[in-house]
Order: sequence, then C-alpha cells, then structure tokens
Amino acid sequence: MEALLNIKDLKTRFHTEDGIVNAVNGVSYTMDPGEVLGVVGESGCGKSVHALSIMRLIQIPPGEIASGEIWFNGQDLLKLNSSEIRKIRGREIAMVFQDPMSSLNPVYKVGFQIAESLKLHKNMREKEARERSAELLSLVGIPEPKKRLDNYPHQFSGGMRQRAMIAMALSCDPKLLIADEPTTALDVTIQAQIIDLVIKLQEELGMAVMWITHDLGIVAEMVHKINVMYAGFIVERGNVRDIYKNTLHPYTKGLLGSLPSIDEAPGTKLVSIPGLPPDLINLKSGCPFYARCTYREERCRNERPSLELADSNGHIVACWRWEELQSEGVK
Amino acid sequence: MIKKEKSLNNFNGEDFAVREHRSLWLDAWRRLISNRAAMIGFVIILIFILTATLAHFFWDYDPKIDLDYSAKLLSPQLTASEESTVHLFGTDKLGRDIFRRVIHGGWNSLRVGLVSVSISLLVGSILGLMSGFFEGIDMNFGESLVLMILLGLSLGALPAWIANQSFQVIGYAALGAASVLLHQFTGLKKTHRMLIFTFAGGLIGLGSGLVVGPLVALVCAVLGLAIGFLLANPIGGSLFSNIVMRIMDIILSFPSYLLAIAIVAFLGPGLEKGMIAIGVVGIPIYARLARSAVLSVSQKEYVLAAQSVGESHARILFRHILPNILSPIIVQATMGLANAILSAAALGFLGLGAVPPEPEWGSMLGDSYKYLSSGAWWAVLFPGLAIMLSVLGFNILGDGLRDALDPKIRL
Repeated sequence: MEALLNIKDLKTRFHTEDGIVNAVNGVSYTMDPGEVLGVVGESGCGKSVHALSIMRLIQIPPGEIASGEIWFNGQDLLKLNSSEIRKIRGREIAMVFQDPMSSLNPVYKVGFQIAESLKLHKNMREKEARERSAELLSLVGIPEPKKRLDNYPHQFSGGMRQRAMIAMALSCDPKLLIADEPTTALDVTIQAQIIDLVIKLQEELGMAVMWITHDLGIVAEMVHKINVMYAGFIVERGNVRDIYKNTLHPYTKGLLGSLPSIDEAPGTKLVSIPGLPPDLINLKSGCPFYARCTYREERCRNERPSLELADSNGHIVACWRWEELQSEGVK
Repeated sequence: MIKKEKSLNNFNGEDFAVREHRSLWLDAWRRLISNRAAMIGFVIILIFILTATLAHFFWDYDPKIDLDYSAKLLSPQLTASEESTVHLFGTDKLGRDIFRRVIHGGWNSLRVGLVSVSISLLVGSILGLMSGFFEGIDMNFGESLVLMILLGLSLGALPAWIANQSFQVIGYAALGAASVLLHQFTGLKKTHRMLIFTFAGGLIGLGSGLVVGPLVALVCAVLGLAIGFLLANPIGGSLFSNIVMRIMDIILSFPSYLLAIAIVAFLGPGLEKGMIAIGVVGIPIYARLARSAVLSVSQKEYVLAAQSVGESHARILFRHILPNILSPIIVQATMGLANAILSAAALGFLGLGAVPPEPEWGSMLGDSYKYLSSGAWWAVLFPGLAIMLSVLGFNILGDGLRDALDPKIRL
C-alpha cells in the first residue's frame, strides 16, 4: 500500500532576536491511509510546528522550512505554490485546533462558517451547503442541527464548539485530519466524548488521523502508532502496543511514569521528569535528552544517537543504550 | 429520587429551546438605545442632519446676494417689526440673518465632516489593514505584483509632475511589475538586478525628460535612478508594513492643525481643499487603529482555522478580520466627525477653508468676534453654539457606541 503521507527529513526553524530556534530537526516518517497516529511529547517539542509545516501554515518570516520533503498523495507539499496548497488545505488535509473558544469567528453564525469550505472547495450553492452543514452538525452529535446553524459561537459551549470545529474539518471528506491537542481546553468528560466521536468518525469515514497531544493516557486506546517527539526529534516510534509494553527510550519511560495512576495511595507525590526541555537555540551535539536522562553515559554527551530498528514491527528508537536497558529490564 | 431521574429523562428539545439569536449589530443597537446619554447625542445629531439637509434642498439661499446694510447687527427678535423681518438669531455686520446662515452652515459642516472622515477612514484603514495583515503573512505573487505596480505609479508621480507629463509614470509601473516577475521566474542575482533597474529607471527619467528640456531631463534622470534602485527588489510584507507605519509616524509628528493649514495653503483656499487637508491629517489615526486591531485579531485561532481551510488572503482579511475590527473603527469615525467639524471651523476662523460669502460656522465666528466688544454677542454666540452642540453630539454618541459595540471595554 502506498503511504498517504511521507515526510523526509523535515527541518523547521524560526529566526528570532535571540537566534535561530530549531523547532523541528529532521523528522521522517510515513502514514498509511486510514492510520491513526499519535504524536506525543511535552510542550515545545515541535509537535504542533511539524503539523503546521505539513499544512504550510508556518509564518514565513520568522519561520522557515529549512529542508525536507513532505509527500502527500504523490506530490511534495513543500514544492506547491500558494494557490495549489490552498486546494490541499481543508479539502485533503484538515485541521482541528486546540482552543475551541477562539477557533470560531465570533461575528459569523456557525452554519456560515461550516458552509464556507463547502462553498470554497466543492462549489456548493448556498442551500446545498446549508443542508450539508446541518448533516455535518448532526454527524458530530449536536442536537437540533438545523436550529443550531443559526447560532453564533458564543451560544455554543466549549465541547459543542469543538464538535463544530470537527464538523468544519470533516466538511470536505479530508484524507488526513490533524487534531492539534483538540481536548486540552476541555474538561475531562467532554474530552472523552470528543475522543469517542473522533474514533467513531474515523472508523466510519476511513480517514487518517494525526492526534497531537502531551497526554499518553489519552491516545493509548485510539491510535495505531505513536511518534514520541523530543526537542524537535522523533526519539521513539512504534505500534501503540510496543510503545506501552516495551518502552525503549528513557524519555518515553519518563512520560509514561509521570501519568498519575488511580491506585496510588493518597498523598503520593506525582512523578515528573526532572529539568526542562533543552534550549532549541543552542542545541548541543549530543543526545537532546542528555541533561535529564537518568541512564546517560559519557557517549550521550557528544554523540547524537540515530533512530535504530528495535524489532521486526517497525519499532524504532534513538538511544545509545536501548538494548542494555531492555535486557536489564530497567523500569 | 426516582421521580427526579424520570423527569430528567423525559426532556424533549422544546424544553431546551435555544435563546432567540440576535446578531452582533442588533445586540449593539439595543444596548445603544438603552443608553440615555448616547440617545441625547443621537437626537442632537439627528436634528443637525435633518435641518441641514432640509435647508439645503428646500430653503434657497444664495450667499452672494445676501446683503442688507440697513439691517446690520440687529439683535435677535422673535416678532417682525416695522424696520425688519423676524431675525431669530439677529443679523451680522452685513445684515445677513444669522439663523439662516447657521442652518445653511450646518450643511457645509456636515459635508466637511463626511468627506474628510471618508478620506481618512478609507485610506487609513486600508493602509492599516494591509500593513497589519502582511506583518505576519507573506505576500503572494499577485499581491506583490499589485503592490509594486502601485509603488511604481506613486513614486513616478514626482518626476512626472516635474516634467509635467504623465506617461513616464507608466514606465515606472512597468518597472515595478518587471521586478516581481524577474524575482519570481528567474534566478537573476540581487546585485545584478539592482544595477539593471537603477540604470533602467534612469533611462526612463532621461528619455521622458528630454522631450521637455535638458534641465528637466537631468532632474528626471536622477530621480529615475533612485526610483529604479528602490523598485529593484519586490518589497516583502513586513518591510511594506514598516514603510507605511513610518510614513504615518511622520504625518503624526506634525501638529495636526499646522499640517492642515500647510496643506490648505498649498492647495489654495476653498471648502473642498479644507476637506482634503482635514482628511489627510486624519489618515494615520485610522491606520494605526486598524493595524493594531488587525495584529491582535490575526493571532486568533479562527484566522489560522480559516487558513487551514484553504481560504485566500483577501477573503481572510475582508471576511474574517475586518468584521472583527469594525467596532473600534466605527467609534473612531464618529469621534472623527466631531473632530473634522472642529477642524473645519478652525480653518474657517483663520480665513482658510470656506471662501467668504459661503456660510460656515468657523468663518462666521471669525467675521464677527470683532463686534463682540460693541455688544453684538449674538453674532458669535449662535455659530459658536452650533459648533459646540454638534461636536458634543458626535462625541457622546461615539462614547455610547463604544459601550454598545464592545461592552467588555469600560473606559
């Protein structure tokens, strides 16, 4: 099967007053049609920037996609001109953003905003687009969709707005949906509803989904594969089962270890990874996780490990000591 | 307990009927009419607009033949007497009825206000919109083509004016277009392009100047070299924004009345010239206001969302950003009307702006203040009151509009 998305050595950086911020440092991976991929990592590790690079939504300047290729459906997105990429956005690749409170335009009715991309990409007439918008709203589980079309965003709750955003994203049957932390701003019960909704829609419509989050707990049950990103690098990638059951990279271990567990005794301190992510302006030549790693050794300081295949399932990891750590069974 | 659960399960859509939806503007209108001060302002302005327009269309007045020395400086009288007809506000030094001139002067003030605010509003907010928008987003090929052609046209205006012929402007516009095309489609080196363009600009200036004479040709050639140099590289978004805002800063650095007076002195007297002067002086206010509003709205996720749907720059700017920045601009325009009326009166008072027999509140004040010492208070009071009331009306309406359009801002 030909890959839907094939990213090769993507590097994105930002020119700021303090220097060049290396936000994404050579990311390569592929996504199959219908695949659900989780991209995890803490804040500032390049998850969102790499997704925005795929959509070519990085502001240039100060941003710059320094190198790489992004093959989507047989064309390199980085080589398209501005009107060609606009035809991809919304129609082929759609995006749902983090903050549902500000991602709908307050001065327009919700129905108008959903219909907009239908009119733009599918050349639908007003009436047709309106009917389709109502269908979409009911698809994402909003009751009385016809009435709700004439509501303004402030009349929607946070969860409903995120549902409306998903409806907008799905309006043109995209082949890839990028969800950039869509549940971070919602409370936990609504989070679960939105996740269930996306899983259900993914199964019904068969699109590929890239789910960006910092919460490994959220993605466990919904994704097929996981990319763990750190400081703009992919440090571990594999099937979801392998990532959870056979964690190889110390950073992934740290992320999993810092998930609070329900059977912990009250008063137990929450576990966290000590330290902060590295300065992306002065990135050292060694392993990016060196400063915070409990398993580090001299070699990690100066030599950057590259991604190595760890088993036959395509589980890859960038760590000098993954074999040792795996055989020792270090938790 | 069970009962409660049952009733919860029994709900239907009707119970949860959605509140009647009102648009932003309807909501703002309701807030406006419940604001008493704003309504007073609104009524004052309504009276002002009605009397001025009605008088202009249905009450003939020819200032050139309005002269009656026998009735000069009469005090206000409510009833007709043997010597004269009714003069509600008295008469001025030429025996002209002040009531009539105040009403007809209102038409001029209204015109000045509307025209000059339109000039500053249109030019200022378009400049502000564009400079705010392109601060963050790079121009695409079409946009930079249009910009460079316009730049060529406006830069070329100076040598064309000196040589007193317009066709060389077209040369510079073509140069601007060529610059974008070369940048886009050829790998010509930057230094080479600059050399070629400087040379080409000089040639255009020289060639078109020679038609007029050697001295003009020299001046035009020098200007042409400079223009060619400037046009050699397509101007990017943030540079454009920077240039526009620095020009606005330069305009703002002059005291506004002084600049208006200078412009009127340059253009010559007349109400229309006054409108242009007041309009130009007001441009930077709208440009800055629009730019800062665009900058903050551009950061909103719905703009990113609009981009991610694949919408064009123009559509994002005019359909998504513009409606969200309208409220401060509307408020500023209302206040700007007051300011324009005041500026027109100031120009008129100084003898600039409206030409003498034309009724204009400022020039009426200027004509009559000398007679204040001889007791003719009415000749000054009524035009003064007219200025004050109309300015007050627009100002409190503007205040009310601000509260109505953006209830979050409490100033």
